[in-house]
Amino acid sequence: MNTKSEITDSTLLRPSRRGFLAGAAALAATPFVPARPALAKPVEIVHWSWLAASDGEVWAKMIDAFNTAHASQGIKIRMEIVPEEQYTTKILAAVASGKAPDFGWGTAGKEAALARDEVIVPLDDLAKAAGLDLPDFSAASIQASRYPKYGNGLFMVPMDLMSLQPLLNLAIAKEAGLDGSKPPTDAASLMEWAKAMTKTEGGKVTRSGIMMTGSGVQPTVTWGIVAAQMGFRRASDDLKTAAVNPDAGKAAMQWVLDLFDKQKVSTRDVTDRYKAFGTGQGGIFWTGPWTLNGYLGQKLDFTAALFPNIGGTRRTYSEIGGLELYAQGDKGRYEATMQAVKWLSDNSFLWTTVGRGASPRTSILSRPDYKTAGAPWSVRGPFVEGMSFATEGEIPVVAGPDFTIYSGGNFLAKTLDGVWAGKTSIDQAMAQIQETWQRGLDEG
Amino acid sequence: MTDMAVPAPETAVAPPPGRRHERPRVDRVGYLFVAFFSVPFFLFNILPVLFGVYVAFTRWSIVGSPRWVGTENFTRAFADPWVTVAFQNALIYGVLIVPGVTVLGLAFALFVSRGYPLSGLARTLFFAPNVVSATVIGLVWVWLLDTQFGLVNHYLGVVGVSAVPWLTSTDWSLVGVSIASVWWDLGLAFVLFLAALQDIPADLTEAALVDGAGRWQRLFFIVLPQLRPVISMVVTLQLISTFRIFSQVYVMTNGGPAGSSSSPIYYIYTMAIVRNLFGYASAIALLLFIVILVITLLQRFLLKERA
Repeated sequence: MNTKSEITDSTLLRPSRRGFLAGAAALAATPFVPARPALAKPVEIVHWSWLAASDGEVWAKMIDAFNTAHASQGIKIRMEIVPEEQYTTKILAAVASGKAPDFGWGTAGKEAALARDEVIVPLDDLAKAAGLDLPDFSAASIQASRYPKYGNGLFMVPMDLMSLQPLLNLAIAKEAGLDGSKPPTDAASLMEWAKAMTKTEGGKVTRSGIMMTGSGVQPTVTWGIVAAQMGFRRASDDLKTAAVNPDAGKAAMQWVLDLFDKQKVSTRDVTDRYKAFGTGQGGIFWTGPWTLNGYLGQKLDFTAALFPNIGGTRRTYSEIGGLELYAQGDKGRYEATMQAVKWLSDNSFLWTTVGRGASPRTSILSRPDYKTAGAPWSVRGPFVEGMSFATEGEIPVVAGPDFTIYSGGNFLAKTLDGVWAGKTSIDQAMAQIQETWQRGLDEG
Repeated sequence: MTDMAVPAPETAVAPPPGRRHERPRVDRVGYLFVAFFSVPFFLFNILPVLFGVYVAFTRWSIVGSPRWVGTENFTRAFADPWVTVAFQNALIYGVLIVPGVTVLGLAFALFVSRGYPLSGLARTLFFAPNVVSATVIGLVWVWLLDTQFGLVNHYLGVVGVSAVPWLTSTDWSLVGVSIASVWWDLGLAFVLFLAALQDIPADLTEAALVDGAGRWQRLFFIVLPQLRPVISMVVTLQLISTFRIFSQVYVMTNGGPAGSSSSPIYYIYTMAIVRNLFGYASAIALLLFIVILVITLLQRFLLKERA
């Protein structure tokens, strides 16, 4: 609906914590101080964010827009940037010491431990009271923001939907005689493209057809996507059985391994995949929408496509970013914070066109200018349309970090790194994955 | 022996009667001066260490009270293959970095102490890496050691050596990180050796020269024995530093591939900060402390200065 905020100031004009303390101090001092008329104090909502790249600049504009829209009402969001890796630890410390920010960024499915420990707040009632139009959100984004093991509550308001889709270097495609307007759609055409775009010297790949690294995020997430396409499930729907259909998972490991050793369309010798694709060291690179602004800025000749169907069912990685509320001693702050979050969601057109990812809100997606705003649709479109098959998100349990396929250093990545390096057999790796994941599910 | 009493020296003054057992006067204001250091030290160093020891026996994720689990974290650590890998890597780092820093630091110090032309510039250059942050060092070396486009492989290629996957192979990642670490740590060892070399009495080497001792004989029979305490200190400091290696690993390889360059501190960091398993991380930290203590005592015993 993207309307201007309809925040009722009766909620937002509640006193801040500091205001409350100052008021308490004033009350205590009443016998000694002559009475004077009460002054309306500005409301400050504290927001922590770990967005620090080009998306961070757009988010700062969103916050500025909120502050401008509410300047006359004395309501302000104060944003503080916290490094992403320290974010959760600092949130935990802040909540434990009773000084938590009011709201911050989260990722759907990754915060089960925070939900269990009541660090993040269930939002169903608050959203309803604030008038947030939940039916306007995609059902998948709302479902992913719930934690079935913790009352199935909604713990996050989705702000953007991200998926992994391939970027194609058009200069390399042209050089290889490929038609950039007809990207690969299945395993066979993908391999045809990859081989045509690969460059070798003395039997060694010097330019990857498919951009890969020898370890870390890229081969791990590739395995996760291909395995899911082949029918592997990290956890059953009831979150009781881990690694369903392990043979599909093993076949996917072999598929990734073959990129290096059999098909020879990828090299392990890339250290920085983002820089490598940007400097023409790779033809096809599956990545997220967060890279688009950077590559557009450096005028790289590229386009985006939908993730090909390699394993039988088209699937890709999904990441849903959103805003979560943190536990406060003063429960009265929730209502005002939720109103601010509602405003940011209602006005997230800029964020989901120029900032990051696709909008989870039907009303924004259906706006006639949604396709023409922000980055060109040729590169942005697949990341919006591809959300229809972006099913591989997080497993919403406390041991969720072990299941994450978009990670360079978690248990899964380290186990699979052994396979890519030839130190661990595929069977051994799958046995380790099954054992650890099952233990994680059993622990809840 | 006669039974003669020895007269007291004339200068000795007998204590005045009635004050024999009085305690020396203590100016209590001294405690205040000491408190400026000792109170913060206790609060921010000792107390966290003690709390860390306690947390090692609990399950705790900052929010809520730690839940006592006895030795469960230690049992888990001993069964965790990634802990084993991290400690094994620390030993390999020790084998690669400690001799590298010690030998090169000594060699550079010997070079500068000779007073060759440009030795002043060399002194600055050898020490310079030590004042640069580990993060910068790591980033620079990631570029230098890049398999495809790194300067190191470029020059190796010039002399016919094929490209080495310094940071992308399980076989080489430890070596790649160690090279950067030696370059970074060298400065301190160099300065310590240089100072010690300047303290060696000139008459010792002059006497050796008169006796006809050659350059290597002077090095092995005069210089190195004189440097023994400093060598012991450099090795000890470097060993502790190596067991605590983190920044280079974090910046250059993230512990990969497949944990091949991981270190105990890096693993503790991932368990504590990434996974918020503070009890488990504290248990591994306690194990690391014990390992460093044992190795330090052992090498101090082996390198101890003999009279």
